Amino acid sequence: MAVITCSTPTKPLRAVPAGGLLPLIAPSIVLALFFAIPMGMMIGISFQSQSAGGLTFASYSRFFGNDLVLAGLVRTVIMSGLVAVCVTVLAYPLAYYLARATSRWRTVIFALAIAPELAGVVLRTYGWLIILEDRGFINSALMWTGLISEPLPLSKNLFGVVVGLTHVILPFGVLSLLTSLQSINPNLERSAQILGASRLAVIRHIILPLSVPGIVSSLLIGFTMAASAYATPALLGGAGFKVMATMVYEQVLFYLDWPFAAVMANVLLVLMLAAGFVGSRLESRLHQKLHI
Amino acid sequence: MRYTALCAPAIASMVWAANGNAETLIVNSYGGPYETIIRERIIEPFESKFGIKVIYDAVGSASQDYAKIKATNGRPGFDVVVMTASQSLEGCKEGLLDELSPKEVPNLAHLSSVIAGVAGPCGAVHEVQYLSLLYRTDKLAERPNSWNALLDDGLKGKIILPTFQNVMAAYLLEIYSVAHGGDLLENVDPGFAAVAKLAEQSIGFEQSSSVMETYIKGGDVWAMPFWNGRAQLLVDGGLPVDYVLPKEGSIPLVATLNVPKHAANRDAALKFVNFFLEKTSQEAWVTGYKVGSGRIDIEVPADIRAKQITTEADLKALLLPDLAAVATRLSAWGERWERDVVAAAR
Amino acid sequence: MNRLLTYLFRVALAAILAFITLPLVVVFAASFSPTSAVTLLPSEWTLKWYAALWDRRWLDPFLLSVELAVIVSLASGLLGVLGAYSVAYAKCPGHTAIMAFLLSPMSVPQIVKGVAIVLLLSSAGLYDLLGTPGLVMAHVILTLPYVVRMAATAMFGFDKRLDRAARILGASVAQRIRYVLLPLIRAGLFSGMTFAFIISFNNIPLSVFLVRPGQTTLPITVINHLEYSLDPVLAAVNVASLIFILGAIVLFEKIGGFSAQIHGGSK
Repeated sequence: MAVITCSTPTKPLRAVPAGGLLPLIAPSIVLALFFAIPMGMMIGISFQSQSAGGLTFASYSRFFGNDLVLAGLVRTVIMSGLVAVCVTVLAYPLAYYLARATSRWRTVIFALAIAPELAGVVLRTYGWLIILEDRGFINSALMWTGLISEPLPLSKNLFGVVVGLTHVILPFGVLSLLTSLQSINPNLERSAQILGASRLAVIRHIILPLSVPGIVSSLLIGFTMAASAYATPALLGGAGFKVMATMVYEQVLFYLDWPFAAVMANVLLVLMLAAGFVGSRLESRLHQKLHI
Repeated sequence: MRYTALCAPAIASMVWAANGNAETLIVNSYGGPYETIIRERIIEPFESKFGIKVIYDAVGSASQDYAKIKATNGRPGFDVVVMTASQSLEGCKEGLLDELSPKEVPNLAHLSSVIAGVAGPCGAVHEVQYLSLLYRTDKLAERPNSWNALLDDGLKGKIILPTFQNVMAAYLLEIYSVAHGGDLLENVDPGFAAVAKLAEQSIGFEQSSSVMETYIKGGDVWAMPFWNGRAQLLVDGGLPVDYVLPKEGSIPLVATLNVPKHAANRDAALKFVNFFLEKTSQEAWVTGYKVGSGRIDIEVPADIRAKQITTEADLKALLLPDLAAVATRLSAWGERWERDVVAAAR
Repeated sequence: MNRLLTYLFRVALAAILAFITLPLVVVFAASFSPTSAVTLLPSEWTLKWYAALWDRRWLDPFLLSVELAVIVSLASGLLGVLGAYSVAYAKCPGHTAIMAFLLSPMSVPQIVKGVAIVLLLSSAGLYDLLGTPGLVMAHVILTLPYVVRMAATAMFGFDKRLDRAARILGASVAQRIRYVLLPLIRAGLFSGMTFAFIISFNNIPLSVFLVRPGQTTLPITVINHLEYSLDPVLAAVNVASLIFILGAIVLFEKIGGFSAQIHGGSK
């Protein structure tokens, strides 16, 4: 592996050989073989017709001409955006604690934050269903205390799905933020405090700006994981809450219309590549601003 | 690596089983209680009769199995698969499944022609269930004998419906259509109108049969449409439930054995299909799993005969939609279900 | 003011942890319930579901899943560091585009990836790759973006002057990787590999198309069982495998002080 950099602080960018690209070969080959080529085949399928041969844009025009599908697309974006924000907001304090704590509790809390992920998505989602459904724990408890007389609609809607997905994705948010928060030198905080900065000022002016890569990571991972998740929206969203991922599953497995499924997948892919690109751009912009 | 060390003997034994001297056959079906019954009633007798080792593959639902056959162009890695008549027809049309003839599978000749016709040339019908009306005997004062019982005011908020992606839903729609003056295919408007009313009664929709089951087990739901084989499992489990075939009739769930086009062990696969259709095997299956049969010459106890499809008369009383035509309409019906039925529930 | 903040922070932490553990408590309670009706406080308790687990039907899939998850996390760890290096550290021309390419598998619903990979294998005639090799490939594709992302996040915060200092002092490439780069991105790599392990260990949508008959992973076995019945043995499976893996982590830590090293970060 050559450690010749593409851009070092001393040399201008274009004068440098692309040696830094060398390590990229292995992952690129793997991705090209087992992702790009198969996805290329799916893109090919999206132009096939269900019945006759030849190429057609029929599935694409069906996609953009169908209000149910477009509503599903909008729903997917709203849901994924909410989940990304919830995950990041909830993960931040946890990650900050894990990055700074030194006590024995640290390992316990780390285990608690990650462990649920090992218990399987489907079963945990059933767990949420039992908690949130009309006769679930929360509604029963609230009705027993007399605070409400009708059960609150906690499941089979956007709320239930966002709760369930936030739970599933939260540990990934914690790991994303942890990586970034750990690379902030604690001495920066200490010196700021010694110089009289309040706790809030330290967070506002040091921690938050320096953890931008982690925040972007967490938002991006939250968004993409939510948008491609199937089991949780299917179980907690119910029949009235269709998102792109559930629609793709239906097309592949039930309607057996693979061209249409491929169109949906491609639209989703383009959407998220765009989101990823914007995210990376934003990140490097902020980086340059912060002179890291 | 320690894990690998632990795994090695297990994997080695499987590889040996797959490549050993004995002839092998890979059968793809379902897990859970189904697996226990099929192993005991069919697979073990088959193994001892023919000396063929069966590898049981419980992976995937019937629709996932079909997707796998489609993606591998008829070479999914299993030799026999349990699916339904709809998939048999589709797979035959796409050239993904082998056509089965009475020459190679002699017992096909003993199937009722009515039911064999439903599945087409690629599917060997080994089991017939029907969409029944399952209800709680402790909550309903009297035994419902019409599908319209689900529309009673007394059942408001006490029923549950399948989502459209569970094939139960399309069948339910067709049954209601026929019961309200429409037909199975062309005029389903009355069906949609009736099912939309059902949706207003319903506490919601569930995709998976095992989730639907939990509602009636817990007592939140008092009545619902359900496959009668699984309904019988609940009855046998001691739950206060029973099921009926309502007077308007019902549509059968015709389960088939299929052999993918490029199955590696085709001969053994055909032997297995034929063995499953033997009179004795069908009797063992009908009494073990409590379902109906496409063979009308089998002898089964009267209590089973009373609740299952076992005679020509039973078969003739069923509504038999043209499944190939249904398949072409599913997509349009699915959209209409979203607009008319799901919207009515909210 | 500072004290109030600390207090608020602790309350928030407790609330978040409660949110994380809540559904787990339900699954945990269900695993001891003699019937499939789930209540938070069952009137009777039983261990029969745990006893039922000591059976090849559950043990073999569990071992396969663990083996797979270990291989996948190692492979994607290696590939991910290589990818992240080019993007985040070397800042090669067009690094945003490269990054988008490396992350793109995240954006495709898994069932599409599953079908696509099976289509590829079958059109290339590589049927023998179904089973463990196919599963490893597919899972690596799934997990690679997360490792790249995590490792890149760590490298963004990496002080390049350290590496230059090492180079000036005559360190070899291998030494610079071993003593400078790896220790500094360890936290990110560890996070990424944890991601990879978890994702592989839980995967259903891809595995369902790629497992070899008679040789299935744990989540597939669970979902097959679920198709027919939703009984507490499934809760027991999940609780038991969770405890086993946590136990393994604790053991590692006792033996090698693994965690102190790994998430020591820059302290």
